[in-house]
Amino acid sequence: MLSNREAKLQGLREAALRLRRNIWRALHAAGSGHMGGSLSAADLLAALYFHHLAIRPDQPDWPARDRFVLSKGHANAALAAVLAQSGFFDESLLDDFYGFESLLGMHPDIKAPGVEMSTGGLGHGLAVGIGMALGAQLQGRDFRTLVMLGDGELQEGSNWEAAMAAAHMGLANLTAIVDFNKIQQSGPVKAVLGLDPLADKWRAFGWEVREIDGHDIGAIVDAFDALPYAPDKPSLLIAHTVKGKGAGFAEDSHLWHVNAVTDEVYRNALDELGDAQ
Amino acid sequence: MSTVDDDPVAAPDWVGRAANQSRLAFGLAVTELAARDSSVVAVSADTLDLIGLRDLSDRFPERLIEVGIAEQNAMGIASGLATTGLRPFVCGYAPFITARSLEQLRNDVAYANQRVVIGAAASGISLGVAGGTHHALEDLALMRALPNMTVVVPADAHQAWHATLATEHLDGPVYIRLGGRVEEPAVTPVVASIRIGQADVLRDGSDVTVIACGALVAPALEAAADLSAQGIDARVVNMHTLKPLDRDPILAAAAETGGIVTAEEHHLTGGLGGAVAELLAREHPSRMRMVGMPDEFAVVGPTDRVRDRYGMSGRGIRAAVLDLLGRSEPLA
Repeated sequence: MLSNREAKLQGLREAALRLRRNIWRALHAAGSGHMGGSLSAADLLAALYFHHLAIRPDQPDWPARDRFVLSKGHANAALAAVLAQSGFFDESLLDDFYGFESLLGMHPDIKAPGVEMSTGGLGHGLAVGIGMALGAQLQGRDFRTLVMLGDGELQEGSNWEAAMAAAHMGLANLTAIVDFNKIQQSGPVKAVLGLDPLADKWRAFGWEVREIDGHDIGAIVDAFDALPYAPDKPSLLIAHTVKGKGAGFAEDSHLWHVNAVTDEVYRNALDELGDAQ
Repeated sequence: MSTVDDDPVAAPDWVGRAANQSRLAFGLAVTELAARDSSVVAVSADTLDLIGLRDLSDRFPERLIEVGIAEQNAMGIASGLATTGLRPFVCGYAPFITARSLEQLRNDVAYANQRVVIGAAASGISLGVAGGTHHALEDLALMRALPNMTVVVPADAHQAWHATLATEHLDGPVYIRLGGRVEEPAVTPVVASIRIGQADVLRDGSDVTVIACGALVAPALEAAADLSAQGIDARVVNMHTLKPLDRDPILAAAAETGGIVTAEEHHLTGGLGGAVAELLAREHPSRMRMVGMPDEFAVVGPTDRVRDRYGMSGRGIRAAVLDLLGRSEPLA
């Protein structure tokens, strides 16, 4: 018999598997899209939405809800899929990804239930997250704010303005997660503009940092359960991930940062994930 | 409407403290709103004194959020605060709080349609000696082009006070253009009301209409007085809101007077003149002249002299009116 923890983790793994299928479903409906950074974030998002975040999908504006901002907005297929799976809207809406007048375009729109901020321009989410965390503090509310950043996104200087400010303000109710998949649009991050030493940079800016394997559900759950990492500092979780995770043909390649999704690609992707239930 | 109540005995406290500077009147009004409403917060980009927020900082220190010299961060934080139900007023230098943070302003504030008020001090060429890096002559064009945005250009400190208080009743983002560290002549009453989106006719007239905003309202009145001596009866409209644009007085002026001169401390592209011309081209093609900054960066110099060099003065407005009417300058 499985322990409670193992049963929980198994449930999250199944949710992540279904999330990957739904990501492909949306991208196939769209005909193309950002599979690489959506798939790398899938395990993190599954653990966030099905384990960590306090949310009420039937009441998207519930004032006490935790806030999650997808700063790497091009991974909206993953956000849309996890919001649908959570019940913010029907999964059939994923078949309208990129559709005319759809709530679900390439990037998150605050008008869609469950989306906390319109993102897509890179380097915006962390500052917005600071505003949310300050908003909680000023109003004596205990909701938490989490922001997911891309690694390539960290090349935008605005992130470092925000990193400096969050630490200066001692925002322990703010967490940033870096989906460190190490590939950006035109090649490896370290070849385009390297980030190393990434953890040390954030520490030097005043954040408490942890690093995990971003596909190890147990490690992810433990990392979220341990938040905040310090009583008077913002927390940074560096999640080492694989771009395109779960689709061997797409893994670790900048060619699958964004690409077409033909019927054949879709079939191959689902085959690799195993048959849907 | 155009009489100025300058009775110092009856004047409220803020009038003296604003010292005829719209940037200070804005800060005092934000402080007043903060005293009334615990959801009001200010975000400063090292602009505490520029915008007159020292008093707010002393009285409500937790509600003065200082982000340092980082306008992009200021704008993103303001958006995030607004999502939680707070009422942020984000303050900075006009050239930086618009152009430097434009993408945050567009995406996080306008696109996400958050209730953020932007106070932009030292606009136009109020920092004349500082040079082109510190002149803000394109801010109105940038702000007008953003959907959801309300754009207000108070004519003086009194109007800045009332306009700032009036944001209490507005949804969505608001841009308020403010002056620099110089006194601005008072052209509106201390005790007044402002309706955002409804222009004020400051002087009636039938020969020509001058539609002005901000720092050029006072020169427009001065020009109208001069023109009156020449027998030209000029109407003067204070178009304190550029967006939404008040159509009726513009269309009335086009129908009832012999032409329209616009006057603004801004490039001739995309500001008040552009807004009026866009409306008239569609609805009532009319003869116009536009007073403002030509398509070049302004020279360095004292504000009044730089304004005058490009015709942004009473003299320049009068010359534009005479040109429009086919009349020559009177002999000196």
